[in-house]
Amino acid sequence: MEDNKKPMVELRDIFKSFGDVEVLKGISARIDKGELLTFVGPSGCGKTTLLRIVGGFTTATSGQVILDGEDIGGLPPNMRDTRMVFQSYALFPHMTVEKNIGFGLKLKKWPKKKIDGRVEELLSLVHMEGLGGRTIDRISGGQQQRVALARALALEPKVLLLDEPLSNLDANLRVAMREELRSIQERIGVTAIFVTHDQYEAMSISDRVLVLNDGVIQQIGSPMEIYEQPANKFIAGFVGYVNFLEGTVDAIYEDTLTSSVSTEYGKLDLDHYQEDIKVGDEILLVVRPETVTLSPSHGKENQNTFHGMVESHMYAGNLSKYTVKFGDREMIVDQYNPRDSEHFKRNDKVKVTIPRSVHVLKKKVNPFPIS
Amino acid sequence: MEEAVIDSIQSRGLWYRIRAYFSRNLINIFAGALFALLAIFLLYPIGAVLVKSLWGDEGFTLEFYQEFFTFRVYYESLYNTLILGTVTMIILVVVGFCFAYLTTRGPLWLRKPLKIVALLPLAAPPYIFAISSITLLGRNGFINNLFNLDFNIYSWTGVITAQCLAFLPLSFMMIENVLNSLNPSLEETASDMGASEFRIIRSITIPLCAPGLLKAALLVFVMTIAEFGNPAILGGRIPFLAPDTYLAITGEGDINLASVLSVVLITPCVLIFILHNYVLRGKGYTTIVGKPTAVEPKEMATGIKIPFMIISLFVGIMVLMSFGVILLGAFVKIVGVDNTFVMDHVLNMQSNIAIWNSIKVSLGAGLFGAIVGTLLAYVIMRGKFHGKHIMEMVALSGFALPGTVIGVGYIIAFNRPPFLLTGTIWILILNCVFRFLAVGVEAGISKLHQISIEIEEASADLGADFLTVFFKVVLPLMFSAFIAGFIYTFMTTMMSLSSVIFLVTPGFDLASVYIYLTAQLGELGLASAATMKVIAIVAISLGILKIVSKKIRLDVGKKQGA
Repeated sequence: MEDNKKPMVELRDIFKSFGDVEVLKGISARIDKGELLTFVGPSGCGKTTLLRIVGGFTTATSGQVILDGEDIGGLPPNMRDTRMVFQSYALFPHMTVEKNIGFGLKLKKWPKKKIDGRVEELLSLVHMEGLGGRTIDRISGGQQQRVALARALALEPKVLLLDEPLSNLDANLRVAMREELRSIQERIGVTAIFVTHDQYEAMSISDRVLVLNDGVIQQIGSPMEIYEQPANKFIAGFVGYVNFLEGTVDAIYEDTLTSSVSTEYGKLDLDHYQEDIKVGDEILLVVRPETVTLSPSHGKENQNTFHGMVESHMYAGNLSKYTVKFGDREMIVDQYNPRDSEHFKRNDKVKVTIPRSVHVLKKKVNPFPIS
Repeated sequence: MEEAVIDSIQSRGLWYRIRAYFSRNLINIFAGALFALLAIFLLYPIGAVLVKSLWGDEGFTLEFYQEFFTFRVYYESLYNTLILGTVTMIILVVVGFCFAYLTTRGPLWLRKPLKIVALLPLAAPPYIFAISSITLLGRNGFINNLFNLDFNIYSWTGVITAQCLAFLPLSFMMIENVLNSLNPSLEETASDMGASEFRIIRSITIPLCAPGLLKAALLVFVMTIAEFGNPAILGGRIPFLAPDTYLAITGEGDINLASVLSVVLITPCVLIFILHNYVLRGKGYTTIVGKPTAVEPKEMATGIKIPFMIISLFVGIMVLMSFGVILLGAFVKIVGVDNTFVMDHVLNMQSNIAIWNSIKVSLGAGLFGAIVGTLLAYVIMRGKFHGKHIMEMVALSGFALPGTVIGVGYIIAFNRPPFLLTGTIWILILNCVFRFLAVGVEAGISKLHQISIEIEEASADLGADFLTVFFKVVLPLMFSAFIAGFIYTFMTTMMSLSSVIFLVTPGFDLASVYIYLTAQLGELGLASAATMKVIAIVAISLGILKIVSKKIRLDVGKKQGA
């Protein structure tokens, strides 16, 4: 366990400009040994540039890349112990599957026998036994993906870099490959950096996620932290839908670690205590649509409940999506559909219950990321 | 965070640092070397011409230009050249449009044969039309004799006709391309709204194609004013710039005057190049939709079909007749005068030696041209240094500049140390390598566009250094472009005349020069036979190119990617 906490890659204060455009503005992060960290963010956020800096295809304007205790900033890609799986796979079209996988080994002057053995081993790792003699245009997109992975793993890199490797696959294959990729990575314990613009992909494959926006790290954390405790409004809105409720802190009870706030919808009592939030502070409540409860307006009055009217209802199989109107405000509510659950129609009067554990953000969010 | 002891690159050995440096910068070192070659073999000769036009025995002077603009025989050549270019350009835009309209919108059965005829002149040197027209309409010409005419082919009519036939493929290809890229639904919409075909051509097709047509016209203009063979053989007493440049050197030995004539000839070329690249760049509506012409061809209106067909067939027959006459001329004593079958022309020793010399030079030029072209394309596409565009422009300029100018430049530049090359086969090879570099570079660049850069990054990522990446990955993938560059350079060198004519030595004739000289002497049988052999070699090369490009299908690079 102790061993796993050793940093394999450290990024220290990396800046990168292309001409006048600053794409990375001081990135510092560490990736532990055996960990899969994902860089995720909207397009143009600098995630691929950051990955290419680790791989040596781009040089940082300033800052250091430390790989296993060595500053590799000045080294070209062929002298780094990092291996990249490219978005287009970049397989050599004039070589067979075996030749592609063995390319790096051959450059390292491995004896042929040893190469053959290693290639066999890798083919079986990626479940492509017996396809070594095929040419690249004779295998499917998913198989090309596996070859690219095997080729990158052949030399047992210290870090595996994956640049949106699943984006060329169709939706079903993508999910399957994602799971397989993760299982191979965990099995051989290679440290990996994965780049994607797809939040759900990032959430489902990673040990930790690094969210980038505008060249700045917004948050680094486990998928659960990112989703449930987003560091700022951007993160909260980036993964999944969110209702933001504006409010002010009325009172804080330090003994029970609770607080009460008044929002635009009404008053709420929360199981929330945060040292830097004081009475009178303006806050944002991060209300995920699936965390609120919807019930008929009549009946027992609950805590933290607001009365509204159903504006629209969309049935989507596993869940019902409601827009509930409170005066001129709206809230999105997702209700998962057990068989006997009650469905609401447009103009039905309903009440919405906000959980006490709702996540709170300070409204004037610290412009610097919390890590 | 704990500050670990960082093992940085600076603490490694010198050799390690050198390796890292080379791995990063080798492509730039290559670029430097290639730029040096371009500078020596393109920029320096052209610069030398410019200097020679302004530099006499007593230093800087304008007297050579003064001389040019004083004597009628000189300045008239400028005037004549521009007239020739303009007239040829106008005729060729019309003829090219007729051909292209028929091959893109005309009756299906006509499309293929018409296209073949329009492209046929590509397989022959441009001056084939001078020789064939002399055979038919010269003083002792077949038609002149047959109908007892006294038509003088050594005239404006002769030069213009030969030029039009020689540059028909260029005009046709460019206009066909423009017409093909025009979205057919625009014309269909107009037709749907009730416009007649004539109306559609006038108010839809031509206005939309106008920028493309203008570009085609300008290119035809540049190529025709630079052409040496036809005006030299058929011009008679009419002065034109390109042949006069040659006469200035061979006749008067006046290198300064030749330089002035060259600069005067370059000027319109450069102006048009600038116009073409900066003013007209991106102009045009035709690129909006890439869908090819309507699948179901409409019946053309008779009022359009008939005149278009008459023009195309008339020109097409002239092309075919020219090739026929050359074939005939190679095997009979004198076409139309003494039609006995002879093998003398074909078996002529001197002619065959010239052909063999041409093959040697062309093979050399093809090989070096393909190597330099491939490397240049790679460096231009993948290098990360400033001045890439300038490098590309210089590399492509050889093609745009008149051959006579480069010929004069090579005489001036390479007749003294440190680059003493005059009289060697190398000056011929290098001249053709750098004149025709554009084809190899363009082929390489378009190939590299198909190869994802990630393929090269992947090989570097797997531990390959620059040279390994280049030889193990890039070169195999670019092989088809290499072959294309090789064969094109080979073919153009086989046919080229305007530049090498300045550089050949009396004992070492090239086929094109031999053809020119025999045509000047009226030995049309010998000229025809040699031309026929050149055509045969070019045709075989084209065949090989076709087979090779079918065999080498290494186009996977793009498909597997995005």
